[in-house]
Amino acid sequence: MEIREWLAIAMFVLFIALIFTGFPVAWVLGGLAVFFTALAIILEQDIGFYTGVDWAYSSLAVERIWDIMHNWVLVALPMFVLMGLLLDRSGVAGDLMRSVARLFGRVPGGLAVTITLIGILLAATTGIIGASVVLLALLGLPVMLREGYKPELATGTICAVGTLGILIPPSIMLVLMADRLAMSVGDLFLGALFPGLLLGILYTTYIIIYAQMRPLDAPVPREVAPLDRGAIREVLGATLPAAGLILAVLGSIFFGVATPTEASGVGALGALLLARAKKRLPKSVLQEVLRETTRTTGYIFGIFVGATVYSLVLRGLGGDLLISSALLGLPFGPTGTVITILMVTFLLGFVLDWIEITLIVLPLVAPVVSHLGFDLVWFTVLFAVCLQTSFLTPPVGFALFYLKGVAPKEIDVPTIYRGVIPYILLQIGGIAMIFAWPSLVTWLPAMAYGP
Amino acid sequence: MMDPSEEIEADLHRLTNLAPDPDEEWPLPPSAERIESKVLRIGDLLSWIWLILMGVIVLNVILRYAFARGYIELEELQWHLYAVGFLVGLSYALTHDRHVRVDFLREKMSIRHRAWIELYGLLLLVLPFLLLVTLSAVPFVTDAWQYGEVSSSAGGLPGRWIIKASLPLAMLLVAVAATGRLIRVGTELFGPDPEYAERPHGEH
Repeated sequence: MEIREWLAIAMFVLFIALIFTGFPVAWVLGGLAVFFTALAIILEQDIGFYTGVDWAYSSLAVERIWDIMHNWVLVALPMFVLMGLLLDRSGVAGDLMRSVARLFGRVPGGLAVTITLIGILLAATTGIIGASVVLLALLGLPVMLREGYKPELATGTICAVGTLGILIPPSIMLVLMADRLAMSVGDLFLGALFPGLLLGILYTTYIIIYAQMRPLDAPVPREVAPLDRGAIREVLGATLPAAGLILAVLGSIFFGVATPTEASGVGALGALLLARAKKRLPKSVLQEVLRETTRTTGYIFGIFVGATVYSLVLRGLGGDLLISSALLGLPFGPTGTVITILMVTFLLGFVLDWIEITLIVLPLVAPVVSHLGFDLVWFTVLFAVCLQTSFLTPPVGFALFYLKGVAPKEIDVPTIYRGVIPYILLQIGGIAMIFAWPSLVTWLPAMAYGP
Repeated sequence: MMDPSEEIEADLHRLTNLAPDPDEEWPLPPSAERIESKVLRIGDLLSWIWLILMGVIVLNVILRYAFARGYIELEELQWHLYAVGFLVGLSYALTHDRHVRVDFLREKMSIRHRAWIELYGLLLLVLPFLLLVTLSAVPFVTDAWQYGEVSSSAGGLPGRWIIKASLPLAMLLVAVAATGRLIRVGTELFGPDPEYAERPHGEH
């Protein structure tokens, strides 16, 4: 192997090693790019090995950052963050939870089903795992525990639903994935819709069956307000505007009426008006929401900028060719290769957040998958479900830690671990179905843009 | 049932305190406080950009769908605002300590151990990166200025060097934020001045 390929491998190994120090991932990426440029220059000029990377090459970093800056589609990303934060922080999300709980709370397992529905509806707007797990835990966990739900069921449901948000459009992860793969955001949203709903249905079915078999572990709340006309009106009043907003945003993208950027801006305005109408948006909350949008956008784009420069240098050293030839050389056939990639993604999800994986790993493997003749939208959705499963899997899934951070003290880590196991099995079932029936993904985009 | 506004307050408190407040992690000597408060003030102020961006998008949508008129200027203004917003966010997130860390090993480290990592990281990873981008961005901006580069689309915005200049400026702002952090970490490691450590932390 050439010296530059060894450099590429060292660059990747060092990246994994350095992020364990706990130093911010964004700067590890950017710093390593500079370090390896310097190393490559020394090796080439002083020792005479060909490396292909010099300062002129790495100064292309600015062009790559400029590509991010004048990217009109990515404008949608901070707007979706803003929309989600507006709904969360203004308490509109909490109203939604309480109202839906009044409808579904009267059957065994109803509260867990409520969490699932709310999670699908709301997490769709944030797509940030930490935020949605924390939000769902704050809204739903105390209620479920007070009503005598088994802690395993309560915590497992929250973790699974909280991570499902990264998959259900309009998730910012899908926006970023589409951008990196030069894919239409609308196509990817459409492709991810059925798989996301499928997982939601699997969760709900599991909860209902569980509650039927063990009513004591998922009891009906002791005090349920009667469901009279006034209550129904109140429930509709709380749910319809928020649900309508999210469906309108999605619908306008799906039917090609609006671009994701337009939909995100209008969606953010809708969320703002909704919070205002409920008198839930004093200036202090609005200010905090805007600042949090800057911070969230800042850390996502920090990794974006770092990863762009890192990938530039890695490619300069021939790292992309190295990976594609390694993958194409796998002796498992095309399907086996895709499964291998997904397995590796699953493992990487233990240490890396979706942002790094989307920005570094996905662009490296996607051309290989495409070359093998697979549909790229299908693969990207599978990739996303794999990541979601990874964030849910002990011992190091991100969602579990976020939940532990906000859960009451008596909930210990083993309880959370036991709680997510059924959901991991459901995820594996879901992945198998998407794998076996690619039309789950491809049918809807084909219909929307069909003849 | 709690009063809704109280409940929101409680939610907010827990949500915003998820990430450890940087103030609690390292000492905050007055020099670092001065530096960091500048970064925070710029970030606070520019956070309103998201509201402006939202307004521009909505205006553009109204003009396009209600009056069937598309304005390239408005579309370009959108990414101008977004680019400034996320670039400023880089330094703002640094001072708020919100950049993503893989922290399960970090949680078990002593505070001094963390401080050493922070010191080496800032010096060997952050600053060289900022230097590379800033130095490469200078010709990028001066070329745009010298040749009077404008948008390539008809009706696009003029003065492209202005938005291009926001990149090196943002990198300098990150460098300022990193300097503030360096002072704090340095104080922790080399200047165990109890006066600093016990000072009441400044409001941002």
